[in-house]
Amino acid sequence: MSAPALSARGLARHYGGVAALRGVDLDLVPGEIRGLIGPNGAGKSTLVDVLSGRAPGSGGSVRLFGQDITGLGPAARRHAGLARSFQRTSIFPALPVGAQLDLAARRVGATDAPRLLDELDLARLAAVPAEQTAYGDQRRLDLALALVGPPRVLLLDEPAAGLTAEESLALADRLRELARARGVTVLLVEHDMEVVFRICERITVLELGAILAEGTPQEIRRHPEVVRAYLGSAAA
Amino acid sequence: MSGAGRIAAGALATAAAGPAIAALVPPGVLLSLLAQACIYAILALSVGVLARQNGMVSFGHAAMFGAGAYLAGIGLGAPGLLPAEAALPLAVLAVAAVCFGLGLIVVRVHGIAFAMLTLALGQACFEAANKARGVTGGADGLTVALPREIFGLPAATFQWAEGMFLIAWLAMVALAALAALLARSRFGLLTEAIRENEERARFLGYGTVLPRAAVFALSGGIAAAGGVLYVLYNGFVSPETVHWSVSGSALIMALLGGTRTVWGPLAGAAVYFLLREQLVEVTERWLGLLGILLVLVMVFLPDGLSGLPRRLRRQRGAEA
Repeated sequence: MSAPALSARGLARHYGGVAALRGVDLDLVPGEIRGLIGPNGAGKSTLVDVLSGRAPGSGGSVRLFGQDITGLGPAARRHAGLARSFQRTSIFPALPVGAQLDLAARRVGATDAPRLLDELDLARLAAVPAEQTAYGDQRRLDLALALVGPPRVLLLDEPAAGLTAEESLALADRLRELARARGVTVLLVEHDMEVVFRICERITVLELGAILAEGTPQEIRRHPEVVRAYLGSAAA
Repeated sequence: MSGAGRIAAGALATAAAGPAIAALVPPGVLLSLLAQACIYAILALSVGVLARQNGMVSFGHAAMFGAGAYLAGIGLGAPGLLPAEAALPLAVLAVAAVCFGLGLIVVRVHGIAFAMLTLALGQACFEAANKARGVTGGADGLTVALPREIFGLPAATFQWAEGMFLIAWLAMVALAALAALLARSRFGLLTEAIRENEERARFLGYGTVLPRAAVFALSGGIAAAGGVLYVLYNGFVSPETVHWSVSGSALIMALLGGTRTVWGPLAGAAVYFLLREQLVEVTERWLGLLGILLVLVMVFLPDGLSGLPRRLRRQRGAEA
């Protein structure tokens, strides 16, 4: 049996006396798009931060295709094949869009930057400083910076935040196509349930820093604890 | 023409303007002032490089300027140890090397904390220059006798206003071209990216300390080159050269001209020196008037005087 693409064991994170993550176990199957949902304060972003090396864990381990990356910093994790995007758009505002993609591609020896610009409808903006582009373009640039390479595992923290419903669904479809075409395993944190149910093969539900449930979208929709804690009428 | 070609052509044209300026300006006080302005423009350029590439404001660059001057002065004072042709570049390289080592630590600090750190380091150097009498001459300063020839030029060339103006002008243009080429290079793009969003750069797989330390070293080296010219021209260096007020003046020049462009600090230095000369004639409180000008520039032209063409272009674009 092949190693999980990303595997977390007993992942914990404490802020003073507050436990934001309480022994989270998580396994992503290579090539899957996994949704990570939960109410505000459930620990979703903290989990992504600890998985990506942005924040140190208080305990537990992280493995990427069997390689222990627990002690690695963000740059080393990127070289190992783990990339991420951020809840708030994280780009280089004054730099031209194309130059940003080149910079990202060069570091990992990738040649797919021009294709990615085309696929994410950013080619027309290649020479434009990112700060002069529309918000939706910036969100796609943020995604492109994470996808270039491509990485083996991609952690996406609310990539559709701030987009209209129509833009969110379009971004979700594009993300699914790109991830499948490149064989990228994705962990998607998202509040927009329509996006999650549309593209995720499995969903993990987090509550109060611990896993509440895990299953297919159909199973999650019907899970009574998930409906009570988070989904409510959205499950209908 | 490529970007590098444009920079080279611009640098050559600007370099060629130096002799024309020297021919047009009557020899004497004004030419001496221009020579000094070029030397301090190099210091302002070093402050601008740090601000542009690293997004960092330094209140301690006089320490690098002064260190370059002292090291060159000490080297020139020991001709049996090193020929002047080796002592001068070594002074610059030594300051750059120390700045690189120091940079590995200090560039981890951001914003106002970095500014205060550079102020503290600068003042520590000022104290060291004052106290180490055996090496620096203490508060009396270090008088430097130049050898008869340096790089095949008679020593008098370096201490004669027209000669030093031309040398400093060429050095300033060459260093500005170097800074412009750096800004356009891949390394320059990386440092700008780190300046814009250091965390994102790390998550793209880049280490962010080494590039920032390299820029700090380059900036220190440029400041030291200014210091070397200073001691060649004046034949003297004292702790006053290292004082924080010199760092403050360089920062004012860089901010007046603007740090978004490489040439902004050079323009700022020219405005600073020419205005100072005029204002000194009017009032003893010339620094206050200069302060008011700085406030006005910061309020109405946050990108400095070099941001004016860009602003005018935008306004024209908006009206069209």
